Amino acid sequence: MRFFLFIFTQTLRNICHSWGVQLMTLLTVTLSVLIFSFFYLIYTNMLQAGEKLGQELRLTVYLESPLNPAEQEEFKKKVNSFGKVEKIIFITPEQAFQRLAKQLGNDSDVLADLSPAFLPFSAEIYPEKDFHNLSRIKEFSDYLKNLPGTQKVQYGQAWVERFGHFVKLLRFIVIISGTLLILTTLFMVSSTLRLTLYARQDELKVLRYLGATNSYIKGPVLIEGFALGLFGSSLGLGALFFLFQWIKINFSSAVFLGLFELRFLPMTTSAVILLGSIMLCTLGSLLSIRRLLKR
Amino acid sequence: MVETLNESLSPHDHSVLVEIVKVTKIYPPDVMALRNVSLSAEKGELIFLTGPSGAGKTTLLKLLCRQEIPTKGLIEIDGNDLNTLSDNAIQKLRQRIGVAYQDFKLLPRLSVFQNIAMPMEVQFKNPKDIRNRVTELLAKLGLSDKQNKPAGKLSRGEQQRITIARAAANSPLLLLADEPTGNLDAVTTGLVMDLFQELNENGSTIIIATHDESIYRGTNHRKFELQQGELF
Repeated sequence: MRFFLFIFTQTLRNICHSWGVQLMTLLTVTLSVLIFSFFYLIYTNMLQAGEKLGQELRLTVYLESPLNPAEQEEFKKKVNSFGKVEKIIFITPEQAFQRLAKQLGNDSDVLADLSPAFLPFSAEIYPEKDFHNLSRIKEFSDYLKNLPGTQKVQYGQAWVERFGHFVKLLRFIVIISGTLLILTTLFMVSSTLRLTLYARQDELKVLRYLGATNSYIKGPVLIEGFALGLFGSSLGLGALFFLFQWIKINFSSAVFLGLFELRFLPMTTSAVILLGSIMLCTLGSLLSIRRLLKR
Repeated sequence: MVETLNESLSPHDHSVLVEIVKVTKIYPPDVMALRNVSLSAEKGELIFLTGPSGAGKTTLLKLLCRQEIPTKGLIEIDGNDLNTLSDNAIQKLRQRIGVAYQDFKLLPRLSVFQNIAMPMEVQFKNPKDIRNRVTELLAKLGLSDKQNKPAGKLSRGEQQRITIARAAANSPLLLLADEPTGNLDAVTTGLVMDLFQELNENGSTIIIATHDESIYRGTNHRKFELQQGELF
């Protein structure tokens, strides 16, 4: 108990002595956590958006000729052999004509002199509601294109591919920013603490002459690292939460954001970021004091 | 490596506490600070090391607290060979040795109280006991009104008394004092010597390096003279 009392007293003494540098380090940790978690928040929300859009995704296969019930069963078997699909609906030219008329609304009279026969027989394929299918949609489309009797396949290729690339880019940014920010935090914390320790070299020397053990010298430095990680990441996550709330309140009516509900980082993710920061900062402080005690 | 320390301290126990056998210290490149010095001190003894400046007194004290390592020879404190002790064991031994440095080695930004409390804090002593002991030492050395002042703001005489108080704080097994009265007047010299006397009566072995004849003249304690690194 007394050990901890002395270690905490010593820690407070150190923090008071170099509060300016400590504050700068705290802000660095806060900003690092804020930047990383901000990208991660966007990434997770994009995944969620992709999932939502994936649920509404369907592929339309235009066929060269109508299929009888036996051919329809055969077609279903072939489609299912690629991957699981939720349902397949066959659309006759008449049903397609009715849909078109409905979509045209008041302008449906343009179809007055036309026969439904100009529209092809088609099949609407609804893939399983799994976002990961998005990346396989192109492969699925190519497979369907090669089925006998297929004229054309449509699924909104352009946006699916763009969205896929965007999510990939975002994942890349999250990984790169995460790695860089981890290295930055580690470097900043160990360098700052080492600087404060260099400034206290005389004090450390005197402490050694008075018989201070390594744990007496290391303890406060490790607690400083721990506190920097704890408070820095808490502040970073807190700032992210307020930023998130502000975006939610001010932009929830925007068309894009209206597609899905924005969600904050789950508790487990926040806890992992918090613990990760604490571990990084404690490791940084350990590195700084180890180098100094070796001298 | 010797990991454990022999720990024994009873007042006026006449076994040997400090054993120095044929110790030589050469500073690079070839400055002979000590040559074949042998000396032993019993527990509870008070010894004066005299000699002119540069004779090797400070070097000998530095060797005893393992601030320096001898080039040749053996040094034992309470049965522990300083050459073979592990880092941790050295730190434990240093906790039982009080050193009043000639250059004080105080932390100027810390208060007088904090400086004197440090050796007790590194041993995690009871805060109340620390307060009482510091207050007692400040009173004995006439520094009661200075306890909250930063050590760096005090005069050299006052700083010298603080380093002596810090060395005495743990009532150490061995107290090494390097020119402890160099900056003091007759009255404060008296206070310091009274403190040393009291510690010695309570069992501490004290080695005082000095060239101030007034503090050892007429005493019954053993005196050794160092001249150009050799003991007489």
